[in-house]
Amino acid sequence: MLLQKFCMRALHTTRRLYSNSVGTGIEKSALAALRKKTGYTFANCKKALELHNNDINLAEKWLHEQAQSLGWTKATKVADRATTQGLIGVLINGNRGAMVELNCETDFVARNDTFKRFVDHVARICLHYTDMTEFDGDLWKLGFDADALKNLRTDEGRNLGDHLALLIGAMGENASIRRALCFKVNNDLQLVGYAHPAPVNVGTVEDITQVGKYGAIIAFRSAADLDVEFQKSMCQQIVGMKPKKIGEYDKDKPAENKDDETCLIHQEYLLDADRTVGEVLQENQVTIVDYHRFECGEQTERHIEDILQSKQQSSN
Amino acid sequence: MSFAFAVAVRQAIAGGSIALRCSRRSMSSARLLRTARLASSGALSRNWQQGKKLVATTGNLQQYVREYAAEKKVFERTKPHCNVGTIGHVDHGKTTLTAAITKVLADKQLAESKKYNEIDNAPEEKARGITINVAHVEYQTETRHYGHTDCPGHADYIKNMITGTAQMDGAILVVAATDGAMPQTREHVLLAKQIGIDHIVVFINKVDAADQEMVDLVEMEIRELLTEMGYDGEKVPVVKGSALCALEDKNPEIGAEAILKLLKEVDSFIPTPVRELDKPFLLPVENVYSIPGRGTVVTGRLERGVVKKGMECEFVGYNKVLKSTVTGVEMFHQILEEAQAGDQLGALVRGVKRDDIKRGMVMCKPGSVKALDQLEAQVYILSKDEGGRTKPFMSFIQLQMFSRTWDCAVQVQIPDKEMVMPGEDTKLILRLIRPMVMEVGQRFTLRDGNLTLGTGVVTKSLAALTEAQRSELTEGKKAREKKVAAKK
Repeated sequence: MLLQKFCMRALHTTRRLYSNSVGTGIEKSALAALRKKTGYTFANCKKALELHNNDINLAEKWLHEQAQSLGWTKATKVADRATTQGLIGVLINGNRGAMVELNCETDFVARNDTFKRFVDHVARICLHYTDMTEFDGDLWKLGFDADALKNLRTDEGRNLGDHLALLIGAMGENASIRRALCFKVNNDLQLVGYAHPAPVNVGTVEDITQVGKYGAIIAFRSAADLDVEFQKSMCQQIVGMKPKKIGEYDKDKPAENKDDETCLIHQEYLLDADRTVGEVLQENQVTIVDYHRFECGEQTERHIEDILQSKQQSSN
Repeated sequence: MSFAFAVAVRQAIAGGSIALRCSRRSMSSARLLRTARLASSGALSRNWQQGKKLVATTGNLQQYVREYAAEKKVFERTKPHCNVGTIGHVDHGKTTLTAAITKVLADKQLAESKKYNEIDNAPEEKARGITINVAHVEYQTETRHYGHTDCPGHADYIKNMITGTAQMDGAILVVAATDGAMPQTREHVLLAKQIGIDHIVVFINKVDAADQEMVDLVEMEIRELLTEMGYDGEKVPVVKGSALCALEDKNPEIGAEAILKLLKEVDSFIPTPVRELDKPFLLPVENVYSIPGRGTVVTGRLERGVVKKGMECEFVGYNKVLKSTVTGVEMFHQILEEAQAGDQLGALVRGVKRDDIKRGMVMCKPGSVKALDQLEAQVYILSKDEGGRTKPFMSFIQLQMFSRTWDCAVQVQIPDKEMVMPGEDTKLILRLIRPMVMEVGQRFTLRDGNLTLGTGVVTKSLAALTEAQRSELTEGKKAREKKVAAKK
């Protein structure tokens, strides 16, 4: 008790001294300017200025250098806090596609633009990874788990884990990259992706990372050029109805209760409840070859294993 | 003569036993208790489904009053009630602040001190079958009684707003002086805007770990941010202090005193919500009876305001507006001088026939409400675990909407998404097949067949439907597609 009091007083006096001697020495504008320019926390900006005798440029440089280690410090500090919220990012570019899941602590962060940009960043890095593999089969899938993702190399000899630490430093909240899945198709196969909730009336989604609480990527084969809206509706079907498998027309029988149907082709078509998905697909001459659905925060022990098993698996 | 009238009232009352219990309690208890009940019920929805909740609250308050009375001899509950909530970054000390407030007020015997770990950050509460993560604490200042809410996430605040478990009248934004505004602070303020909070008080926490300059800059930054987000940033009260110091009884100038200053600002800056009793009266009609020799009697629970004999009234609903006069008010066989919000009553009305009035209409002060057939609402769609449906839905779905004593078919439009998944909250535009009395802030339930699909609150009334739009409501999908094709 006495010791505690003593410590407190010591702290208290140091603070006084500190603010008298150093605090007045720093010009108000310097701290404000540095904070505005860099966005780092006030405490860090202040420290930077003190270390560099108020030289804004040096302080800024130091902050950028320190950001990485400060990020790691923060990341270690909050590492055991649960991340249950987050976003799914879906990115399609030509014959390649990537779907990633990032988690954070509160959904406020998930709604923030900085976080969304980071999702985009991770999706692009994953997509880029598919370029490094030569593949001429029909369909190639690659799943990543959290550890693999952290070690993924990015620019300047850093890896994704470093980038994540930076984000944690900026947000002050724990975050994690949970899983990712890459698709690459060749020949007559096509890819389409969708993230829900999606804003309405957006033109193209090519090469734009869509973000949401749910995501789906479909690989399909189609004779004709398909309407973009129809492609999207197929993904919505996967997101909304959560099918367990595609199903085969001659093998799988429709379930007795329509609402319990887990076989995609027998499920009720969301846009027209009178028809099944199978009927709509046949009408449009489309064959769905493979699909994947991510739901933010879902339980996935099996899921990840499935993805890893299907690593480098070709559909034909 | 009046006996027959009273029988009619009793019949109506037998149906709504929950309301009856409320009324009886208030009648038998001291009058001050009734005011207490009214104050608390103001925070709750008037929907019958929350009736049980209402009773529970009454019970607690009563207990509370008794305990208090034992210590102080006389208790007069004259303080108005107000709901506030804390918003802010997870590490900036929202819970510590809440604990500090209760501690400082407990020293003045105005609250029960709660330790940090006693304020559970996210106990799951079930209101109307919907799970909400929310921490509730109560305390009072010299002038007001407070319900204090803290939710962990955006979706939880929205759900809280929709179910109205504790509608927030104002918010305390907590920001740490060491960090300043975080990137997501923007989202916190945005949320406050979205759930209709017009009054924010800022608490800059952890000033013991920062110096004056930093604190000033943080204040500037927050004011700037609030202005940018559409608040009057210059006028927002900003209080600086350290919740931890207050909790540990250190440095009173930034500890306990700062907390008291914050509460003073909250007292003066966040306006007291209008009591239900002071609003123009409104009675959703539950039943209509024709009493030979007397006339028409309508029964129901007075939702707000005061009804007296001789008052002008108006019946609104089902495309009708009927003017009349209240010629008598009764409750439990007895003539009532004045009925107050919360009373289950029967009102004798002049000059209207039984068949003119239907359950679902409202009797109100003339001109105080309007019937609407198009409105914007914030709706929470129940997940499967909460008893909702498993499938998502798209625009143009037809549902049944229940509110007060009426129900009506509605067509749903989803303005900013393409589909809505179970467990999501969303903005919806609802088009009613016929105009019904709806007001901003009114709560309702959406049902699909025998399934409750979601629950919501009206956020905006929209222009009435045109004839063409109304005929579109009943159109099928095929007709809609044809029209779209014709346009192309």
